[in-house]
Amino acid sequence: MPPKPAPTAAAPSSAVQTLWKAYNEQTSDRLKFIDAFLVFLMFSGIVQFAYCVLVTTFPYNAFLSGFGSTVGQFVLSASLRSQVNPENKNEFKEVSPERAFADFALGSIVLHFFVFNFLG
Amino acid sequence: MLFSLLLLTAATAQASVLTLNAPRVTTYNANGEGIRTELLKLTEKPRVPLAVGPTESLKVTFQVVEEGSDPIKGVQPLQTFLRFYDPETDEEGIQPLRTTPAGKSKFELNMAKPPMSIPPTTNSSVLQVTLIVGAPNHSPLKIDLFDLTLPESHPPTQHPDEASFHLLPTIEHTFRAPQKLPPRPISALFAGLTLAPWAILIGLWSQVFPGAPHLFSPSIFPFTATLGAFEVLLVWYWVELKLGQVLLYGGILGVATLFTGKTALASIGARRVGRK
Repeated sequence: MPPKPAPTAAAPSSAVQTLWKAYNEQTSDRLKFIDAFLVFLMFSGIVQFAYCVLVTTFPYNAFLSGFGSTVGQFVLSASLRSQVNPENKNEFKEVSPERAFADFALGSIVLHFFVFNFLG
Repeated sequence: MLFSLLLLTAATAQASVLTLNAPRVTTYNANGEGIRTELLKLTEKPRVPLAVGPTESLKVTFQVVEEGSDPIKGVQPLQTFLRFYDPETDEEGIQPLRTTPAGKSKFELNMAKPPMSIPPTTNSSVLQVTLIVGAPNHSPLKIDLFDLTLPESHPPTQHPDEASFHLLPTIEHTFRAPQKLPPRPISALFAGLTLAPWAILIGLWSQVFPGAPHLFSPSIFPFTATLGAFEVLLVWYWVELKLGQVLLYGGILGVATLFTGKTALASIGARRVGRK
C-alpha cells in the first residue's frame, strides 16, 4: 500500500509525524526488528567514534575493530533488510528470505572472525 | 783464483774512503746578509746550535772528495741525504741533495718556504743534522754536521674528516612515551554510553519482537546452536586459541552448520510457502 501523499502546506514536523506514522503502520514487525538492530548499531558506532575523537584512540586496534564491526554489521543487516522486505520482491526474485538469512549469517561469521582477530 | 781477485777488489774498494772538502754552513737574515758562518769539522759539531729565525735562511755547501787524494779528487756519490732528527720527539726528515760530477753540493733552507722534509718542531727542539753519502766503490759516509734550532712549526691543519675519527656519542634510543589510559570517570562514562545502545536495542525489540514460535523446534534449534557455537569459538579465539586451532574447529563447525542451516532454512522455507 503506497504511502499517503503529505499535504503540501504542512509544516516539516508534520511531515516527520506522517512519515513516522506511515512507518509504524505499514512496516512489519520483522522489518522493525531489523531496524531496531540497525539503530542499535548506529548508536554504538557513533559512541565509539565520539570516544575516539574526544578522549583517545588508544588502543587503536580495539577502536578499529569495534567501529569496523558496527559498520560491517550495519551493512550486512541493511542488506538483509532490503532482501527480506516484501516491497523489494521484484528486485530480488531469485533470493529467498532464507537464502538472504544464510548470506547474512555467513557474512556475519566472517566479519566477526576478522573483528576478533584484530581485537588484540 | 777468481774469488781471491774479488776479495782483493772488495778490499781495495773498502779502502776508498770519502770525506768532505770545505763543508760550510751560513745563516742569512731576510735581506740576505750573513749572520753566522761555521766551517764544519768532520769530527766535532759546533758547540752552539745554529739558529734560523722565521724570516731567515740557511745554506750548507760541501764537496765530496776521496780521502787522501792529491790533488783533491771530487766524487759524485750515488746518494746524498741530509737527515734532520729531533731526539726529543723522535721525528725525522730526509732531504735528498743533488751533487755535481765534481762532488759539489749545496742545500738551502729558507724558513719562509721550508721544505717538506723538515720534521715538525717545537720551541725547545734541537734538530740533529746528519749528512749521509753513499757511492759505489766507496765506504758509506755518515757525518754529524751541526745542530739546528728552528721556529716552532705550525700545527697541522685539521683534516675535513677529522671529526669522523673520534668516538661518537653513544646512541640513545628515545621511545615514545607509553599511551595513557583516560581518567577513570571518563572511562566509566564512555563505558556506560557504549552500553547504552544495548538498552535501546532491548527496549525496541521488546516492542517489535515478531515472535519465534519454532525457535526450539528440532529442525531449527541445531542451526541457532551452531551459529551460537561459532560466536563462542570466536570469543574463545580472542581469549586463548591460536589461529590454526580456530581454522580447524571453525572448519568442522562450518560443515555442521552447513547441514543444520540447510535443514533449518528448508523447513522455514517450506513453512513459509505452505503458509502462503
